[in-house]
Amino acid sequence: MTALAWAAPAAVLFAGLAFAPAARAQFGDILRKAREKTEKAQQIQKALAPLTVEEEREVGREVAAKLVAHFHLYKNDALTRYVNMVGATVAAQAERQEIPYRFAVLDSDSINAFSAPGGYIFVTRGAIALCEDEAELAGVLAHEVGHVAGRHVLKIVERDKAMRTGMEESKAHMPGSAYLHRMSQGILVKMIDQGLAPSDEFDADQRGIKYAHGSGYPADGLTRFLVRLDQATQQGGKSFWTRTHPPVSERNENIRKTITTQHWEDADRPKLADRFTRETKSVKTKA
Amino acid sequence: MKLRFQFILLAVLGALLASVAVPSAPAQDQPQPYQQQEQQKSEKDQKKKKKGGFFSGLKAVAGQSSEQQGETATAGTKGVGEGEEIGNAQPSSADRAAVTAMENYSLPQGDVKKFQTDGKLKAGK
Repeated sequence: MTALAWAAPAAVLFAGLAFAPAARAQFGDILRKAREKTEKAQQIQKALAPLTVEEEREVGREVAAKLVAHFHLYKNDALTRYVNMVGATVAAQAERQEIPYRFAVLDSDSINAFSAPGGYIFVTRGAIALCEDEAELAGVLAHEVGHVAGRHVLKIVERDKAMRTGMEESKAHMPGSAYLHRMSQGILVKMIDQGLAPSDEFDADQRGIKYAHGSGYPADGLTRFLVRLDQATQQGGKSFWTRTHPPVSERNENIRKTITTQHWEDADRPKLADRFTRETKSVKTKA
Repeated sequence: MKLRFQFILLAVLGALLASVAVPSAPAQDQPQPYQQQEQQKSEKDQKKKKKGGFFSGLKAVAGQSSEQQGETATAGTKGVGEGEEIGNAQPSSADRAAVTAMENYSLPQGDVKKFQTDGKLKAGK
């Protein structure tokens, strides 16, 4: 009994001395891991947060710079002004008015139109040449405005953690930074090589016809353009629209359904073919 | 008898404590298992990145490692899409100035109004 009475405190003392460094080490390790996990969680939270309007503009500016570097702008002040007039008219109908919409013509025979986050919208010389009237051009531009208003590209960016890696670095937001280069590169591959989700294309169509109709154009301008685009690409015309977008027949069927349901037949609305021909003479001549 | 019991008890306790304390000691000075875990985790992440994702085929040109440059070269031999080609473009100062001009482009409100009135279009919502 005496032996046990002596042994018990000795064992406790011995155990305390033996365990102290190990326990401290293990506790420190747990704390360090917890701290690291918290930091990682904060980084993930930041990386998945919606982009601010300023961040959106930075990314869009980089995408726009790459498009300009690749295609070059079509330098024609009168045409640029005209495209901006049509674009501004349809963009005034867009849900998102916190960003400015800007329009420019790319010097390319291909039949394409692009929209970058932040409201940078481009249409190629080839696409303008394919249009028959202003209502068609309005339909094309309105579709692109629809992508921006629907935040279609932004949603991809916001979902992709890897793309946003490095955004917290101090120089990340400088034009040409590795972060903006990677981000804009990813957007261009998605837009042009892989295509956006079909649901986003249908959504841009729906928004587009709504903006066109809302601004006084016939709602079917985009439909008529798509039919001609389909024919042009079958005859060898270059366009990523037919390659990466849902089939024209499917898109037009959806558009027609909306026009019928909404009673947007608009047979008496101006297509403005004469003004279009006059304003786009330089493109038609070059094409 | 009592002394022997005491001695045996202490010896057993000592052995037990030593066996528990010794393996945890290196964790303080050399966090090898954790580092190994992290290393394995990063290797897994790298494998995942190589496997897929929308943007997996992309490698930044600016400030990339030699490994990344190698992958870009491989992508080139497989055929680079137009989007990737445009994405690889390095805008010049003139290109950036053109974008700035695009940003600063503004139409006089009176002209827009006239344009819309002439075309029997609607201004705003």
